[in-house]
Amino acid sequence: MKKKIAIVAYRCRRCNKIHYPFHDRCIACKGREFEEIRPEGNARLLTYTQIFNLPWGFDQRFLVIGVVEFENNIKAMGQIKVDSADSLRTGMVMKAGWEPVRVVDGEKVYGLMLEPLT
Amino acid sequence: MRKSVVSRGGEAMRDVAIIGVGMIPFGRRDEDSLLDMLAFASLKALDDAGLGEGNVNAVYVGNMGAGILQHQTGVASALLDRLSLYPAAAESIDNGPASGASAIKNGLLAVASGYYDYVLVAGGEKMREVTGWRATDFVATMTHPQAEYVYGVTLPGMAGMFTRLYMEKYGVTREMLVEVAIKNQQMGALNPYSHVEMIITREGIFESPHAIVNNPPAADPLHLYDACPVSDGAAAVVLCPLEMARKAAKTPVLIAGFGQATNTLTLQEREDPTDLKAVTLAAHQAFEMAKLKPGDIDVAELHDAFTILEIAESEHVGFFPKGKGGKAVLEGKTRLGGQIPINVSGGLKARGHPVGATGVAQVVEIVFQLRHELEKGRQVENAKNGLTVNFGGFGNNVLAFVLRRVEA
Repeated sequence: MKKKIAIVAYRCRRCNKIHYPFHDRCIACKGREFEEIRPEGNARLLTYTQIFNLPWGFDQRFLVIGVVEFENNIKAMGQIKVDSADSLRTGMVMKAGWEPVRVVDGEKVYGLMLEPLT
Repeated sequence: MRKSVVSRGGEAMRDVAIIGVGMIPFGRRDEDSLLDMLAFASLKALDDAGLGEGNVNAVYVGNMGAGILQHQTGVASALLDRLSLYPAAAESIDNGPASGASAIKNGLLAVASGYYDYVLVAGGEKMREVTGWRATDFVATMTHPQAEYVYGVTLPGMAGMFTRLYMEKYGVTREMLVEVAIKNQQMGALNPYSHVEMIITREGIFESPHAIVNNPPAADPLHLYDACPVSDGAAAVVLCPLEMARKAAKTPVLIAGFGQATNTLTLQEREDPTDLKAVTLAAHQAFEMAKLKPGDIDVAELHDAFTILEIAESEHVGFFPKGKGGKAVLEGKTRLGGQIPINVSGGLKARGHPVGATGVAQVVEIVFQLRHELEKGRQVENAKNGLTVNFGGFGNNVLAFVLRRVEA
């Protein structure tokens, strides 16, 4: 069963600035009241990279990682499900899901998984 | 907006000078512990300052990872103990890869305030003790735990994403990045403190059919030779008030200005992720305090953990307009003898990047330059003013120093 994207972003109740990740005070107006919002719709790829020298905890040849902006302006980093970054272009529209992104102590850790919309 | 860094409650603070420097060759130093390296560099700095058997009032140590890499904490207290500097004060300072510059800043403020007269600042890191896999993970712990780190992003990965944006916005090319790598490794080959002493060529890493084997992608669009090595190393400086420094045996170097600025932890929250605001602000503060402009600088050590950063920082500190730094590299303007020699030491790219040591090593190199102690082929002729930029995180905590030769 598909899992819901568990990213929670925060819209400042005073100035509407969107924050992800969480800040205790608004970056723009220092306000402390936030409305929780969730990513909506597809996401546009802002930048990306294919990493070949991976950190401890990743037993694979490479990782493709990017930053996207959702239709409701939440920006977030995620892994991208492609065979090579050569198939990617900034501005591409991506489908977003919540899937395992790493394994820690035998447990799957879920995160944002992106896939180009063909 | 701060008016003057060196005024507090209207009272003038003291000018602070560097009277001694020490550094050990960076690289893989299996035979030395972190404490060995810090002690070797510190003893050299104390000897250079004429304090070989003397004492200091305080010791500040820049170190990012001993707690993780060596399972050792309280490094400053341990260094003080090795050097028998009791009862001096001691503090370890972690500001990621800008730990070294942060340690110097703390020493500077302590002397400027009048609280201490003589301060030893050391920076060190032992990164080759663990596998590359572990070292990469250690550096990545600087990223946001839930929004970035969990995905396996590394600092080269952050730099790769930044590079793509910078290329798209400003037309930076692979050729420009390659030229930075070639320049810095050429200079590093002349520096006895360098980790990497290998000269590379355009053909070998860019133009020939073998280039893709020699220089494979590391974090697309960055390749292997766009990144600094993982290094062991240490460096140290001794600070004191300028008036006392005038009696020192060697030419004192004044810390004429410093600046420090921060930005969001994640790249994605920056309105324009290609704008390294903290670099601009830190450099601006340092220039303002020193009453100098970028054009007054004779030599600079910029934080080239990745080739793109040398180009971007050269623009953000004001040496070149935005989008012109890459062209300046191709035109040789950043080479020795050029408009503004950058990373004549080889930079992080060749000298190496033991993270806690780097900010101190940059200052040591500029002191060598301003004391006119380097050999021909490395020395910037008649250098009077130097700039350092130490870049913490991915530009989220940056320090800059303007240093000035004190004429007799």
